[in-house]
Amino acid sequence: MNGRRRVAITGVGVLNAAITGGSAALAAWLSDPTAVASARGGPCQGPEPSATSSGGPGSAGASAHPPGRLRARGGVGGHVGAPHSRVVDPERLAGLIDGGEARRMSRVCQLTVAAARLALADAGLGGDAGLGLVVGTEFGDLRSTVEFADGFLSRGPTGLSPLLFPNTVMNTMASATAIAVQARGSTLTLAVPAVAGELAVARAAAGIEAGRLGTVLAGGVDQAGELVQRVARRITRSPDAYGEGAAFLVLEPLDTALARGARLLGEIRGAAWRAMPARSCAVGRGTDARGIDEALERAGLTAADIGWLYTSASGDEPRDTWEAATLRARFGQRTPPLVSLAPVLGRHAGLGALHVAAAGWTARSGLLPSSTPSSSRARVVAGPGLVHGLARGGTHVVLAVDA
Amino acid sequence: METKDVVEELRGIFVNRLRFDPARAAAIEPETPLPKGVDGGVGLDSLDFIELSIAIEERFGIVMDESQDLAPHFASLQTLSRFVVARVAGT
Amino acid sequence: MTRIVVTGLGTMSPFGAGTEAFWSGIASGGCAIRPITLLDTDGFRCRIGAEVPEIIGASPRRSRADRLAVAAAREALRDAGLGPRERRDAGVVVGAVGGGMLEAEAWYWTRKDDEPDRAALAALRAILPSTHAEVLGGAFGLRGPRETVVAACSSGAVALALGCDLIADGRARVVLAGGADSLTRICYMGFNALKLLDLEPCRPFDRDRRGMSIGEGAAFAVLEDAEHARARGAGAYAELAGYGMTTDAYHPTAPHPEGEGMIRAMEIALATARLDPRDVGYVNAHGTGTLQNDRIEARAIRAVFGDAPVLVSATKSMIGHTMAAAGSLEAVATVLALVNQQIPPTANLVNPDPDATFDCVPKIAREHAVECAISNSFGFGGQNMTLLFRRR
Repeated sequence: MNGRRRVAITGVGVLNAAITGGSAALAAWLSDPTAVASARGGPCQGPEPSATSSGGPGSAGASAHPPGRLRARGGVGGHVGAPHSRVVDPERLAGLIDGGEARRMSRVCQLTVAAARLALADAGLGGDAGLGLVVGTEFGDLRSTVEFADGFLSRGPTGLSPLLFPNTVMNTMASATAIAVQARGSTLTLAVPAVAGELAVARAAAGIEAGRLGTVLAGGVDQAGELVQRVARRITRSPDAYGEGAAFLVLEPLDTALARGARLLGEIRGAAWRAMPARSCAVGRGTDARGIDEALERAGLTAADIGWLYTSASGDEPRDTWEAATLRARFGQRTPPLVSLAPVLGRHAGLGALHVAAAGWTARSGLLPSSTPSSSRARVVAGPGLVHGLARGGTHVVLAVDA
Repeated sequence: METKDVVEELRGIFVNRLRFDPARAAAIEPETPLPKGVDGGVGLDSLDFIELSIAIEERFGIVMDESQDLAPHFASLQTLSRFVVARVAGT
Repeated sequence: MTRIVVTGLGTMSPFGAGTEAFWSGIASGGCAIRPITLLDTDGFRCRIGAEVPEIIGASPRRSRADRLAVAAAREALRDAGLGPRERRDAGVVVGAVGGGMLEAEAWYWTRKDDEPDRAALAALRAILPSTHAEVLGGAFGLRGPRETVVAACSSGAVALALGCDLIADGRARVVLAGGADSLTRICYMGFNALKLLDLEPCRPFDRDRRGMSIGEGAAFAVLEDAEHARARGAGAYAELAGYGMTTDAYHPTAPHPEGEGMIRAMEIALATARLDPRDVGYVNAHGTGTLQNDRIEARAIRAVFGDAPVLVSATKSMIGHTMAAAGSLEAVATVLALVNQQIPPTANLVNPDPDATFDCVPKIAREHAVECAISNSFGFGGQNMTLLFRRR
C-alpha cells in the first residue's frame, strides 16, 4: 500500500442532549460529564417542535413517554440519566438553524446541518466545493415518512404533502446538508443499525487514505421517535437505550491539514468493516473478529499496542454480550479498559462518530471517560485505541485511533 | 368570497402547509412576489408551489388545470387570491 | 492499479426473472409498464407502473424487496461461478430506498394503533433498507465488507461504485453489488403528489413527454479483481473502468438547471478511466421522462460529448423507474450492450425533443460497434453517478 495517505481529524461538531459545540465542548464534557450536565441546569425538554400530526405513532417525542421507558437496565453501564436528558433541546436547535431555512428542513435534517456546521467551524473551514459528505443513519427521517403516510390516511390523496415526500428517502439529511454547506463532492448515506456513525467515518477515512477523497465531513444522525422505540423493543426484546443527536468529524489528509496549519484532533490510522454471521435483527454466536485484525493490520499495530477501547454497548443485553465475547476472543485476559457513551447519551447513529472524536481526545489526553455517568472520574490510559462497533445483523466496524 | 378573505386563507395555508412562521406569513404584503429568485420576494420554489396548489384545491374545492401556465397567477398573494375567487365563482 | 471486471449478472425485472428475460425484453423494445396490481390506486390519476411478474427462488416469508434481491443475487453469484470459500470473503453493497416498506405499510395502513402481532413484527423487522444486505449476507454466506447505501434514484449505481472502491483498496477481491426495490405506497403516492407521473407509459426524450412511470426490480453484478477472476478461470462481461460521483447541492428534488453536477460526474468518470469523450459509443441515460430531467440531462450530455457520434437511450421507457434498482438494472443493460454489440432502444419515442440533439435509438435496438459505454443515474438530493464500462 505505497502512497497511502494519513487521515487527520481536524474538526468535530456535536449536537445531542448533553453536548452542543465543537471539540472544546466535547473535551469539556468528556473530562467531567457531571459538571457539564449540572451547568446546563438539568431537564430542559418538551415535545419536539415539528411534530404536527395529531398523535399518530412516531409523531410524539420521546419525552412524551412515561419516565423509565427509555431507561437501560443491566448490560454495560446500568446508570442512565433520566430519559428527557436524551432529547435535544428545541431552543438550542432553533439557535443553530436560521428561521427561513428551518421552514423547509425536517427536524432530523436540522440536527444534521447544525452538527455539520459546528464541525466545519471547529476545523476552521468554510464552504469547500470539493467537500465530500458521508452520513450514517439507522432510521433516516422516519418521522416525516410517518407524517407523510398520516396525511393520506387522514385526508386521502390531497392530504399528501409534496414537501414531505423527499424526506421519506434516507438521503434527505445528506441532501439538506450538502446544500447548506455547499458540499459538491461525493455524498453518501450509509444505513445500518447501531454502527452507522462508525461505518460512515470508516468509509470516509478509507476514501482519503486511497487518495479518492480530499476533505470529508463524516458522521451520523438519528432522532428519537416513539414508533421506533416501541417497535424496536418488541423486536429485540431488550431495553436498548435509544437517544438522539448528530455528530460529525472533519477528516482530511494529514499533509493537507499540516499545510494549512490546522489543529490536529487525532489520527485514524486504520479502519475495517466486515460482516459477522448473524440473522437480520439478531445477534450471532461466532466471535471470529477478522475486522479487528484487519483494522490493526492497516494501522500497523498489534493487539498488544491497544491501550483502550470505545465499544457500542447500549443496554441491548444479547448484543452487548456478543460484542464483549468478540473482544475477549481477540484480546483475551488482556482486554484493555473500555467504555461506551451510549448509556449516557443514548444509542443513535451520531454516537459512533462521537466515539471516534472522543477516541482522538483520549489518545491525546491519556484519559478514558468513566462508564458510569454519575461519576466524573476518568481513567488514565496510554497509547492508541480502537473504536469498536458490532450490530445485530452482523455489521462489524473497527477504527484504530491515535493522537 | 372576497379576495381579502382569500388572502387570509392563503396566509393560513402558508403557516399550516408551507410551515411559515405565523408572524412572517402575516407580514407578507399582497403585492410581494412569491417565487424564488425575485429580490425582496417570499422565495417559494417548485416544491412549495406544488404543495400550495394542492392545499388550494383542497381548501377551495377547485381543480388547477395543469396543462395551462399557472405561473402568472402564483406571482403574489394578490394575483393568487383573484384567481381563486374567479375559479370559485366558476368563471 | 487494480482492474475491476464484471464476472456475474443477476436480474429481476418487469420483464421477468433472469438476465436473459431482461435483455430480450429491452432488446426487443417492449414495454412492461401496465396497470398497477400491487397497490390500491383509487383516487390517483396515474394508475400504471412496471411490476415484476413473478419472483422465483426466494422465501415467501421475506418482504417483496428482499425476495427480489435474493433472487437476483443468487443468479449473479451462480453466474460468476463462485464457490463457498470465495463467497465467504466477498463483500456486499446494496443500494436501497424502500426496504421492506410495502409490508410495513400494510400494517400501518390498517392496524397502526394495535400492538403489532407476529406477522406485523416480521414485516417491521424487515422494514429498514439495511435488511437486504443482511439477508443476502446470511443467505449466501458473504462475510466481507457489507454496506447499504441510500442515494435515492441513483442508489443501485452508487452501490457498484462503492463495490469498486472495496476492491481497489484491497478490502475484498469479490463484491456482490447492486440495488433492489419493490413498489411501495409511499413512493407511488409521493410521485403522484409531485405530479411527476405520466398517465401513459413514460416517453423519455420525447417532445411530448409528460412524466415518469414507477417500477420495481433488482439487479446485482459480481465485481471482481481482474487478477482474481483470471486466476480462477472466470470469464468477464466487461471492465468497470471508472465512475464519477458528484452532488449538485442545489435543491432537494430538482436538478441543477445547467446540469452542472451531471456534467462533472460524466467528466470525472472519463478522467478516471483516462478516456476521451470520443472513446464512448453509448450513453445509457438516466432518462426518466420528466420534463426537467430529460431536458437538463440532454444538455449535459451535449456539453460533455459535443458533436461526438454517441448513441443515447433510456431503459426506463421499457421498465419504468425502478428506484433503488434502476442504476444497477441499467448498468446490466449497459454491460450487455457492450457484450452483444447492440444498443437497446428508447421505447415510446415518437418526436425527439429538440434538446436531444443526439441519436436516441428510437423504438428498435441497433447493432453497433461500441468499445466503451457509460450509464447515468441521478437522484433526489442532486446525487449524480456515472458508471463507465469497457468491453472485454
